[in-house]
Order: sequence, then structure tokens, then C-alpha cells
Amino acid sequence: MNSFSRRRRLTTAALTALAVVTSATACGGSGSTGAQGEDSGTYAIWDPYPQFDKSSAWAKLLDGCGTEAGVKIKRTAFDTSDLSNKALLAAQQDNSADVLIVDNPVVSTLAEAGVLTTTDDNELDTSKVDPNLLAAGQSGGKTYGTPIGANTLALYYNKDVLNEAGVDIDSVKDWKSLTAALEKVKKAGKKGITFSAIGTEEGSFQFLPWFWGAGAELTELDSAEAVSALSLWKDWLDKGYAPNSVLNNTQTTSWQEFASGDYAFSENGTWQLANAEKAGFEYGVLPVPGVSGGNAAAPTGGEFVTIPVQGDTDRYATSQKLAACLTSAQNLYDTDTTLSYVAPTSEVQDKQVATNAELKPWVDAVKAAKGRTSDDLGTKYPKISEQLWKAVQSSLSGSKSPKDALTAAQSAVK
Amino acid sequence: MNPMNLTNRSPSRTWWKTAIGLLLTAVMLFPVYWMLNVSFTPERDMRKSPPDLFPAQGTLDGYRRVLDEQLPYLATSLVIGLGTVALTVALAAPAGYALAKLRPRGGGILNFVLLAAQMIPGIIMAMGFYAIYLSLGLLQSVPGLIVADSTLAVPFAVLIFTAFMSGIPGELLQAAKTDGAGPLRTFWSVVLPMSRNAVVTVSLFAFLWSWSDFVFAGTLVNGGAHEPITLGIYHYIGNNNQEWNAIMATAVVASLPAAVILVLAQRYVAAGVTAGAVKD
Amino acid sequence: MSHTTQVPHRRPVPEPSGAAATAPPPARRRPTSQQWAAWAFLAPVTLYLALFYAYPLYRNIDLSLRDYTVRSFVQGDAPFTGLENYRTVLDDPTFVPALLHTVVFTAVCLVFQYAIGLALAVFFNQHFRLSATLRALFLVPWLLPLIVSASTWSWMLNSDSGVVNALLSAVGVGPVNWLTSPSWSLTSVIIANIWIGVPFNLVVLYSGLQSIPASLYEAAALDGANAWQRFWRVTFPLLRPVSAITLLLGLVYTLKVFDIIWIMTKGGPADSSTTFATWSYQLGFGNLLPAFGPGAAVGNLLVVAALVFGLIYVRVQRKQALS
Repeated sequence: MNSFSRRRRLTTAALTALAVVTSATACGGSGSTGAQGEDSGTYAIWDPYPQFDKSSAWAKLLDGCGTEAGVKIKRTAFDTSDLSNKALLAAQQDNSADVLIVDNPVVSTLAEAGVLTTTDDNELDTSKVDPNLLAAGQSGGKTYGTPIGANTLALYYNKDVLNEAGVDIDSVKDWKSLTAALEKVKKAGKKGITFSAIGTEEGSFQFLPWFWGAGAELTELDSAEAVSALSLWKDWLDKGYAPNSVLNNTQTTSWQEFASGDYAFSENGTWQLANAEKAGFEYGVLPVPGVSGGNAAAPTGGEFVTIPVQGDTDRYATSQKLAACLTSAQNLYDTDTTLSYVAPTSEVQDKQVATNAELKPWVDAVKAAKGRTSDDLGTKYPKISEQLWKAVQSSLSGSKSPKDALTAAQSAVK
Repeated sequence: MNPMNLTNRSPSRTWWKTAIGLLLTAVMLFPVYWMLNVSFTPERDMRKSPPDLFPAQGTLDGYRRVLDEQLPYLATSLVIGLGTVALTVALAAPAGYALAKLRPRGGGILNFVLLAAQMIPGIIMAMGFYAIYLSLGLLQSVPGLIVADSTLAVPFAVLIFTAFMSGIPGELLQAAKTDGAGPLRTFWSVVLPMSRNAVVTVSLFAFLWSWSDFVFAGTLVNGGAHEPITLGIYHYIGNNNQEWNAIMATAVVASLPAAVILVLAQRYVAAGVTAGAVKD
Repeated sequence: MSHTTQVPHRRPVPEPSGAAATAPPPARRRPTSQQWAAWAFLAPVTLYLALFYAYPLYRNIDLSLRDYTVRSFVQGDAPFTGLENYRTVLDDPTFVPALLHTVVFTAVCLVFQYAIGLALAVFFNQHFRLSATLRALFLVPWLLPLIVSASTWSWMLNSDSGVVNALLSAVGVGPVNWLTSPSWSLTSVIIANIWIGVPFNLVVLYSGLQSIPASLYEAAALDGANAWQRFWRVTFPLLRPVSAITLLLGLVYTLKVFDIIWIMTKGGPADSSTTFATWSYQLGFGNLLPAFGPGAAVGNLLVVAALVFGLIYVRVQRKQALS
């Protein structure tokens, strides 16, 4: 009897829950026909922007696009590291979102899993997008989405610190002159450079400009060029030009270090521009230099708008309208301004630079940037990247020499 | 009443214990203080070296944002916490009684399963629930989250109830039986009142676990109409940037009311326990 | 019931309802009506376990026995490969260090958490001003989501701007690379985890202390036992069942600790703080391309490890009950 009443309580709880859900969707979907969760009038959009709440411009933009397409939008925002797992799980349960906005290196993984439709199927127009940006969403000759914005890495520098140390920023053209500048800064009692070498994708992302700048390729992690790039970082740490904490720094942490005003340089992304204005000192931006001059290619960051595979293929037409709306010129401009990103099309980029000249170096950097999963690396990239950040970590922490660390990494990839 | 203080009951002779207690608590709570400190720290001083021990040039930005945006979440957290406590005790107390006193065949196996159940990593549990709820349409519902949160506490609760209830003397139960009480009545009027300590301990942890749960909340109710306070943290974790003073401020705001509840509950509990001891 | 045998010749005032010190457990005969009653009481929790744990557990086992790629994960057609994933994991160069770190991490955390928790429980079990309030405050760390408390620790232990190094340099000790040196990272996560585990031990052991009847202490005091003797002869033995369960639960919780380590060090640098729990997560979720199979296999090894200890616990308990 006792157990019966408890069981009934459980059932009641479950029923209540069900009722809550059904009523929520029922009163939510004013234009909807049925009371089911997935009715034809409600479209689900997943994005990695939890920082934007219901009253944000982004949420309003989504609703606006929904109204334009004649449907109701149900938005869910996930922490970006959560989103790919959720997307895989939802696809496994055959319950994917209608429009999915994901970090670009994840696109090839989701495509490999068969979660995403190609632009051939969904008829998204990607003709205006810069080809180097679109490449991150391509694999096996197919395109799986279109970028909503792009960002990349460059060096922020603190003018006050450099002046104090007597460094002329124009003299910094290659690794040698950069290291010389760091030495001067250290002698002046300030701190050199901070970056993020953490044991996650962020660490690889930050190492890549140096890696590529040395002329190394992701298909050969133990090349002499790769070793020289890692040795550069290791050397900075050993000489105290870079703090030991970089090993554990996220890009936010490394930015906070730079924001303290003690550091001359910080390798960080486009998205920090707004924070740089608030930093309270004069700053400048410099592309990451290559080993012997010129600009190193930096990796592209930023998200893609994709349309996941649905059981009900009739939904694609509306999903396509939503995705097209989100990536229309005006909306790209608004969104990328909010996110502090560079737009993926030249047309919008020009407009961004016209409004804000500070963006000029970033637009150039994005144009020179390279997708991590480009060169048809696709799903090979995640494995390579993991070995790369491990090598960086073991070398910088002193447990292996740069050469040994990279040799081990290369053999682990195979 | 309390056995340990037979010899030194007068307050004048216990002040040094209070002093030691204060010191220990201060050491224990230093990280919490540090969190408080960070929550007041403006962006530019976050990684100042050496750090400020006291936020002299503090900012209230974090709190301003949190108070603007987060208060409704507190009520949701409270409902979820209390719901989890109720569900956990309702499920676990009878089970603990049966395992401790009724010697069921197969009880050992169940004990074992309970242990195994706790070993499943939280993220796997969360993924399992996600898949189940997605098909059932239970995502983003408060009762759904209560059920999920209770899985954090139920196996623990059963084991705790078993451990505590096995200390209840057999004669008492025998006496109840002789008086004609069935197992249900024995459980309700003898065992449960005597297990007050266990109920309190279990409730405390069930509440704490659900209050601070992040994994289930993030997986199951993210984006729903009612989100617990821990999810408020998501507002400050962008995909490239985290606003730490606001994150820490959320944690402070989230823990303050619960801390008050804890202190009050503890006083009540202490009184209740002593009263119970006298009755024995 | 087992602990009744642990109070040797020190039967207190003969009190019919003297809580702990009573006759041996009732006869081992199991009447059928009692069986029915027992299972009626157990039914809700059994149903609950079957409903909510079976699926994730089944899923984890299934994941570990198949060769999952992201594609077959979504399409659900992964080929069955038996113990292949387990073999992969055993051959992995990370296996031995991870095993070692798991053992060290678990053992050190358990010992310190229990010892500190017990000392504090005994301390707070005395009556003094504010004792209840301070005890409640000890629980405050539990109100914080782990993401916050672990981040705070990594904040404090930061090599360059951390408060711990600042305090060390104030007393003339050079900076320690708590989180970024392979020789310190494990120590750092152990310290943080002990901090998180102490309140649990304190509360459970404190409740255990409260259940020890005052009459026993009075009898011991009459016999001329000092505080130290009272602790070792009365408190400690009577706390045995609660201690055992605390340690067992502590073991289970410590084995699966992952958030703290993950947030503080990501298991690094160079795997120097990788345990099975973080390794499992690293394989399954720490990468853009998840390796579900090996990740689940490592997770299951942990479950097996806990089961072994559970078995030992059940055995010991049964032996004590029979003796």
C-alpha cells in the first residue's frame, strides 16, 4: 500500500511534468496547429551564445526572422563546449534543431556524423562568403553551412609599456625582433607577453599562428619548423618573457593578465576589442609576425549557421529562409557588431570598416586567416589538435623537450 | 545533555573553543572569501600581481547585473531543492528501514546496485536523462529536473538510512510488534522519529546537491521558462569570454539565502537533537 | 547492529531502551510476511533505480563494447567489437600514470578528509558559543557549484597572480607553480578536493556522534577515563558503522571526482594529474571528435573498481553481523 501510494506520487509527478510541458508549448505556439512539442509552426534554433538572454538584440533578431518566415522560434542557447554533444545526441534521437549555429571546427565532425544537410540540399546561398572562411565548413567537396561571422588572433600591445621600455613597435617585424622587444620590456621591469597554452582546443588555436608562421604543416607535427615554433614559446617561458601561468590560461585569463597593464603583448582575438577600449591604456593591434617577417596565417574562429537533417524534409524550406535571414547583409552587420566579429562577406566588411576604423587590421587578418579543418583535414583535425596541445603542454611544463614532445605527438596521430 | 561538556559547562571556560572554532572556520571559508573578493574586482584588476587581499577599488558591476537579471531564478532553485529533498526522503527512508531491519532476501544485491549506481559518472547520467527526456518531452520542466537531481542523493540516502537505522535497538521494534503494530506503523511511529538525525543529514545533502547542481540543470532545463540559479552563470559565459566578477557574484547571490537557511536549520536541528536525546 | 560487540565489558546503566548497546540482532529466520513487507518498502526505490539508472548504465556498457564513430553514434549501427575498447585503453601509455594518480588521489584524499572531518566533528560536538553556527558555515562550500569553487581554487593557486604565492612570498618562500608544474599539479588538486570533501565527512560523522548515547560517556567518565581514552574506547568503536559508510561513500565520490581536476588542470600538464575519471571525460568529451567507446570503457573500469570495494564492504559487514 505504501509502495502503491509512492508509485502513484511518481506517476503524478511525471504527469504534472508532462502537463506543464504541453501547456507551455500550447500557449506558446499561438499560430500552431497541434499541441505536440514539435509542431509545424514552431522552429527550434540552437546557438552557442548563452550570454544573450531573452531581451537581447540577438534573441529579437531570431524572433524577427521567425516572423518573416511566418513561424514561431524556440531558441535554446548552450555553452559552446556542450553544443556539439547535444547536437549529436539530439540527432541520435532524431530530434535535431531546425537551425544549428556551431563553432566552425565542429562542422566537419557533425557533417561526418551525417547530422547536417549540404548547401546542395538546403539551397543556402554561400556565393558572397570569403572562400577562406567558407573552407572551414567544407569537407569532401561539399559545403555544410555558412559562417555568421569570423574572428581570428593577433597581438594586442600596450603602448605605455612599450614606450617605457623604449621599444618602437614598427621594429617588430619577425620573431627575432619580437623576442628582442620582449627582452627590453623585461629589462624595464615589465612583463613581456601572455597567451593561452591550455590543454584544450583553445591552446591549439593560440599556438597555430606561430606554428603556421614557422612554415609548419598540420600533417607533419614533428617538422623542424614546428619544433622552432614550440622552441620559441619554450624560450620565452624559460627567460621569463612569458609567465608560467600561460600553461593554464584560457583566452579570458590571458586577457585579464594583459588588462592588468603590466604586459607589453597579448595574443588574443577580435572579440576582445570592446574590452580593449575599456582597458584604460593606449593599445594597438599587430598581426602575428611570421618567423622571418611577413604576417603569419592565423586560424579562423567564429560560428557557422547550419541546417541539420530532419525526418520531415518539408521543414527545410522554412529553415533555409531562417538561415538566409540570419546571414542577410544587414543582420550580419548587426550580429557581428554585437559579437565583435568580422563579417564573412566583403560587402559587410567594408561597411564595418567604414563605421569603425579600428576593425581594419582585423579584417585584414581575417582575410589572411586559415580554417583549422581546411586543406581537407576535416575530422582528422581534432586528433591532430589534441596531440598538438599535449605537445605544447609537455614541452612548456618542462617534462619533454620541444622536439621529443612533437615527435611523440606525430607518432600518436598515426 | 551533551556528554563531552560535563566538566566545562560555563561559557567563560569555553571561549577559547569558540576562538579555535572561529579560526578553523576562517581557514575553511577562505576560498569562499576569495570568491567574494573576485566578485567585487573590476576587470582590469582580475589578474593583478600580487592580488589585492581586499577589493579596495571594488566594483558593484557584477552585482548590479546579477540583481537585475537573476532574482527570479532563486525561487526556482528553492522549489527544486525542496522537491528533491521530499522525493529523496520519500524514496530512501522506507528502503533504508527495509534493508536495515527487515532483512529482505536479495537486500545485499540491492545494496550493491546502489553502490554501482553512484559510480556512473554524472555526465553519463545527464546524457541518459537527456535522451529519455527528449523522447518524453520532459526537457525544460521543473519536475523533470527534480527527479534527475534526486538521483544525486537517493543511493547515498538509502545507504545512510540503512547505516543509521541499523543502530535502532531490535527490542523496540519487537515491542511495537507485540503491541500489534504492522511494519508500516512501526516504520512511521517508531523508526522514522528515531531516525531524525539521518533524515536531517539526508535532507541537508539532498538540498545542497540540488542547489549547486550544474550538470543536470545545464543539460536538462537549459533555455526553459524556469531555470535554477546555477544556470544564471551561463549568462556570463560567452563563447569566447567569461565575465568572472558577474559569475562569482551569481555564486555569492546563490549561496547567501541558502547559507542563511543552513544556519537557521542547524540551530533548529541542534535543539531538536538535544531534545530527542533527553527523551531517550 | 555490529557495533554492539565493540563495547567490551562496559555495559552502561542497564536501561531497557539503551540505544546502541543492546542484544544481538533478531533471529536469522526470515518469515515470509516480513519478506513481503520488506520488498514493499523497497519497491519504490527499486523501481526508481530500474527507471533512472538502468538506462544510463546500459548505455555506458553498450558504448564500451562497440566501435563507435560519430557517424555510427548518430545512425546507431556501430559494430559490436567485444572488449576491443578495453584492450585499447589498457595499451594506452596514459593507462599506468592514470591508474597511479587515481590510487594516490583517492587514498590521500580519503585519509585526510576523514581524519579532518572526524577531528572537526569531535570538536564541534562540544558545547561552546557559536558552535552550531560555525558548523553550519562549514557547509557553505557545498552551496557553490563546482565550476565556481574549482575556478576559485585555480584562481588562488595561479602561478603569477595567485594569492597563495603572494602569501608565500610574503614569508620569503619562492613561487610554486601549483597548477603548471608536473610535480605539483596532483598535490594541488588533492588539496582542493580535500577542502571540498571535509564538510561531507564532518556532517555525517557529527550525526553519528550525536547518536551515541550520553550514558556511555557518563559511565566511561565514572570509570575514570580521560577525554583521550573516551574517544578511543567509546567514540571511535561506536562510530564504526557510520565511519565505514562514510569512507565507502567517500571512496566512491573521490574515485569519480572529475570537475575539480578538469577545471583546475585539465588533467595536465602532460597528464600529471590525469585520473581515470578525467581521462574518461577527456576521451569522451574533451575533444572535438569524441571517442565514446574508450571513454565509456574507462568509466566502466571505475565502476568495477568501486564494486570491488563495495564487495569488500558488504563482506566485512556480513562477517561482523554474524560474529
